[in-house]
Amino acid sequence: MTRIAHIFRELVRNLYRNAGTALASILSMTLLFLLFDLFWIAAGTSDRFYRELLSEIEVEVYIDGTVADSSVALLSRRILSTEGVFTATYVSREDARAKLADLVDMDLLVRYEDNNPLPRSFLVRIQPEYLNSTDLAAMQSEFQNMDGISEIYYGREWLKKAEDTKSVFLEIGLVLGLLILGTVLVSSTNSIRLMTRVRAVGFRQMMLLGAGRLFVSFPFIIEGFLIGGVSAVAGWLIVLYGSTRIQFSQIEIVFPTTDEMVIFCAIAALLGGISGYFGVRKLLKE
Amino acid sequence: MTDDSIEKQHVVEIENVSLRTDRGGLVFRDLNLTIDSGQTVIVSGASGSGKTLLAELLVGLRSVESGRVRLFGHEVRRRRKRILRRIRRQIGGVGGPFGLLPLLTVAENITLPLVLVGERRKLQQERLLRMLSEFSLLKLAGKYPPNLTRVESSLVQFARASIASQPLMIIDEPLAGLDPSTYCRVTEYLIKVAVSGRSLLILVSDLPSTNIPDAISLRLEDGELV
Repeated sequence: MTRIAHIFRELVRNLYRNAGTALASILSMTLLFLLFDLFWIAAGTSDRFYRELLSEIEVEVYIDGTVADSSVALLSRRILSTEGVFTATYVSREDARAKLADLVDMDLLVRYEDNNPLPRSFLVRIQPEYLNSTDLAAMQSEFQNMDGISEIYYGREWLKKAEDTKSVFLEIGLVLGLLILGTVLVSSTNSIRLMTRVRAVGFRQMMLLGAGRLFVSFPFIIEGFLIGGVSAVAGWLIVLYGSTRIQFSQIEIVFPTTDEMVIFCAIAALLGGISGYFGVRKLLKE
Repeated sequence: MTDDSIEKQHVVEIENVSLRTDRGGLVFRDLNLTIDSGQTVIVSGASGSGKTLLAELLVGLRSVESGRVRLFGHEVRRRRKRILRRIRRQIGGVGGPFGLLPLLTVAENITLPLVLVGERRKLQQERLLRMLSEFSLLKLAGKYPPNLTRVESSLVQFARASIASQPLMIIDEPLAGLDPSTYCRVTEYLIKVAVSGRSLLILVSDLPSTNIPDAISLRLEDGELV
């Protein structure tokens, strides 16, 4: 038997003799990973929803009543030259009136045929990377400083709330991720430590015969690697199975890409391997 | 250096070693022992005289308080793991600190020293078969140590201690509790090892009734070898 064959035989023996412990470990970690997967999907879906909402944000820049129509083009050029501005569409008094009529389903300005009181404005669309409260506030103050601008409006409050919600979501994700990372390490380390306890006598004898630390610990490192990897894969399989059974008509669920799932499983396996090493390390020191 | 001096290099060198037990009692007092290549040394001593401790000292399970322990020219120190590993691979042990791995079969236990040095599979099989035949263990090859009798366990340990032709064999109480026929077989085997050129350290309570050729007999008394 070669050294590698011996290591793999030890691995199989460990799993066979401690099948209950290994299964309990896999099940508990699958649940943890499942929780993390669901949160990941929820975060991805809400992020897309948030981006879609953001993309609809328009800044309404109102033109002062004293500005002559001939100066509007100049004002438009100045707005377009502002950093982060994507388009600036001019809305004349008549356009505003038509919009208002569309909105309330009747023309409220019937008596003002010759003297339309609605202000002229620009509907400014922003480049996606500038769609945040800081950049929009900066843009607002820049517009404010331009001659001929009377008022600026965009959903400032809404944007702030949306950003706060997103940051809370991120924080929860971070805490959840750290908790799961810690739990995976502790749970897997302890189950492997339990398995090594049973084999303490064998370890000592193997070391007495001149076995190296790596030779003794490798089956447990691989075991941790397998437990972590299998649990992560099982978590995703449950999620994917669930997605084929439940359909949402209102929301489009955003799943991580296959590459992201594979990387996640690889990281989970690596974590398992590390916990396998920690599980056996203490015994090797004794 | 003559050819003879190369052959007669020291396998074990214990120089002025003092050691106390965990309770503080002095076990060894300026202990000195040298075993040359191919030499057989029998150390006898009463129960609790420190025979097993001596074996533990040689395989690096214990550290000395003063003095020096060298095996195959390397100083035995618990922290020097790589050297310790190399030293341990050259030792075949029976009894005392040495035992069988309970979760490996008899065959796997016996071949383990060859696995550790990365020996070819074919050679492992050949030597395993030879050892199993030599110690009449063929029927037990697939059994696990907890299912063996004490005598069977000893024989498996002898087989394991010989499979890699380890240059030094440390045997702690090889004859204790053996039935007459096994006693004779083990004694015959010890004689065979003694004349094979391997170094042999036998730790016993009572000296064997059969003489082992060219063996040096020492007695461990009050922490000293006399």
